[in-house]
Amino acid sequence: MSEVSHAIRIKPEQAIAEAKALGEKIAKGAKLFEEIRDEDVAIATTPKDEVWRQDKVTLHRYRPVTEQTVKTPVLIVYGMVGRYTMADLQEDRSLVRNLLNRGVDLYVVDWGNPSRADRWLTLDDYIDGYLAECARFIRERHGLDKINLLGICEGGVFTTCYAALHPETVQTLVLTITPIDFHADAREERLGFGFINLWTRSLKPEDIDRLIEAYGNLPGEFMGSVFSMMTPMRTLTKYNLDLIEVMDDKKKLLNFLRMEKWIADRPHHPGEAAKQWLKDLYQDNKLVKGELELGGRKVDLKAITMPVLNVFAKDDHIIPPATTQALRLCVGSKTYQELPLPGGHVGVFVGGKAQGLLGPGIANWLAEHDRDAAPRHVQQ
Amino acid sequence: MNPFDAMQNLADLWNKGGKAYLTAQQGLFTGMADTMAKAAGLGDKASFQGFTPDTQGFEAARQDFAKLWSSASELSSALTRTLKADQANPQVAAVLAKIFDPRGWLGATNEVDQTLQRMAEGPQLADLWNTERKFIAVFNAWTAMRRHSLEHNKVVLEAWMKAAGAFAKLLNERADKGEALESWREVLALWVETANEVLLETQRSEAFLSTQRDLVKASSELRLAQQDLAEFYSEMFGYPTRTELDDVHRTVTELRRELRAFKRESRASRPAVESTNGAARPTPRRTAPISSRSKKRTRAAKAGASS
Repeated sequence: MSEVSHAIRIKPEQAIAEAKALGEKIAKGAKLFEEIRDEDVAIATTPKDEVWRQDKVTLHRYRPVTEQTVKTPVLIVYGMVGRYTMADLQEDRSLVRNLLNRGVDLYVVDWGNPSRADRWLTLDDYIDGYLAECARFIRERHGLDKINLLGICEGGVFTTCYAALHPETVQTLVLTITPIDFHADAREERLGFGFINLWTRSLKPEDIDRLIEAYGNLPGEFMGSVFSMMTPMRTLTKYNLDLIEVMDDKKKLLNFLRMEKWIADRPHHPGEAAKQWLKDLYQDNKLVKGELELGGRKVDLKAITMPVLNVFAKDDHIIPPATTQALRLCVGSKTYQELPLPGGHVGVFVGGKAQGLLGPGIANWLAEHDRDAAPRHVQQ
Repeated sequence: MNPFDAMQNLADLWNKGGKAYLTAQQGLFTGMADTMAKAAGLGDKASFQGFTPDTQGFEAARQDFAKLWSSASELSSALTRTLKADQANPQVAAVLAKIFDPRGWLGATNEVDQTLQRMAEGPQLADLWNTERKFIAVFNAWTAMRRHSLEHNKVVLEAWMKAAGAFAKLLNERADKGEALESWREVLALWVETANEVLLETQRSEAFLSTQRDLVKASSELRLAQQDLAEFYSEMFGYPTRTELDDVHRTVTELRRELRAFKRESRASRPAVESTNGAARPTPRRTAPISSRSKKRTRAAKAGASS
């Protein structure tokens, strides 16, 4: 071990300098912490109005900020694992604001906070029930036959299924970080990528049933811990390295805290829907096989004939690119386009670099494929 | 045997077991810090405390387990002797004696589980041992979860040991090349990078996945056993049980599902008169989906209600 000790040669002056810098950083950070209030780290602040509600589900319309350039409204659909607020984390890191600024008419569905009382809700209820109702409401409000759908992660699966079941009501389908082939992670073999896929497959179906029976839902904290496992050292060093690194810079510290706020706000996933999500999709891969049934109907991806834009993050360890790119061979659409972006699963939405790529990329594509749409008028 | 004495014995056993497990795990982490410091050629183990593994820790854990085993065996023998002395129900006494055998708690067989299942679900002798049976189920589930937790922790700790070894090897290689690390930041960065890779590899191993699966399952079983016990007392005191609430929620969900389907059918059959609930009440402009699909969905909704 003598060689080991020879490998670390920290000069006293270097050690003193490091300690001094750290001390100054912590002192400045402590002062900043004192000054920061909860409203400073508010997320999802883009103004919007509730326009429809059913049970715990609410539909909001964002207030336009400029002249409309995309005629057909867009409905943003997030999943049940996490919350839609990621798309509007803060003013300068917001897909919502980027789209509004480019004249897109935006709606977002909020699934609310499912509790044990919502244990029996299924994916059928969410996709063929609530989502279908939201889409119907927007179509009627605008006097349109079709609307644009923008799905995020599990919400991308929801919109994909909806588009396959009701293609006559969808103008275009935009997917972001959306898994389609849940077993395609095995093809990539990138260390640290697709762990949730592997982990879920390691469970037996009855283990999932017992988990849901015990808790009534898939607890948000439980999924949070699985996500933490995916980046083990990042999780361990987040508060004693990463936080210290940014704590003397107010802007970076606020970014960090807003991200923490979003991560902490992890709703429970309704039990029966979670069983379908984990067993039918992650374990049995029924979506890509054409075996998934919702509302008594098979979800046939070939029925998706509208233009499709599939946006994914090239370094997404949660939804590895291969799992989403599988859509290319499955859809019936003649217009299928991919938009690979740098960054990871969340970074593609909130990262600094992504701001100039994601919003403009989607807005331009929507404008290009929205030429045929002609709204009559909007009911207020 | 006085049931209260039996429960007191169980409580003592539980407490001793918990303390022994705790001591075992504390020993592991202390040992880890010590060995990591040695591996890095450092005198100050405090620098690495909390995330460095050690074989000495495992030995300490083994010794603590031996202590637990000994105390558990003694109590088990005492309980078994007492139970055998009580001949009121030899069958129940024999089954309980089997459950109290620590080999059953720590063994990998499911014999005890099957025995418990028989006790929980099989023919019962009037009201005899009903309460105890539920407490024992909780106790057994708790023991199983602690065991699986320790087994899983061992896999993770082995990964940490591997990471520490890889880290030391990297430092050696750097020393050979004359590339010394000149700041704690560099040392830390190298450690984080090395450990991350080893941990990610471990997470994909069969040992990690299978022990974690067992832990998840054991956790669910413990909660279900606790719920069963809670339901027992809820019923006793006239409070609604979890099962009853689940039934109510299921009924509400099914009714809402049917209501949605009914509304859809209603809209489809009355194209000019529609309504939406909620904040906004726009004048409808057109009819939504065709009636045939609506009927299909109604059937599906009813079918889905049984899922």
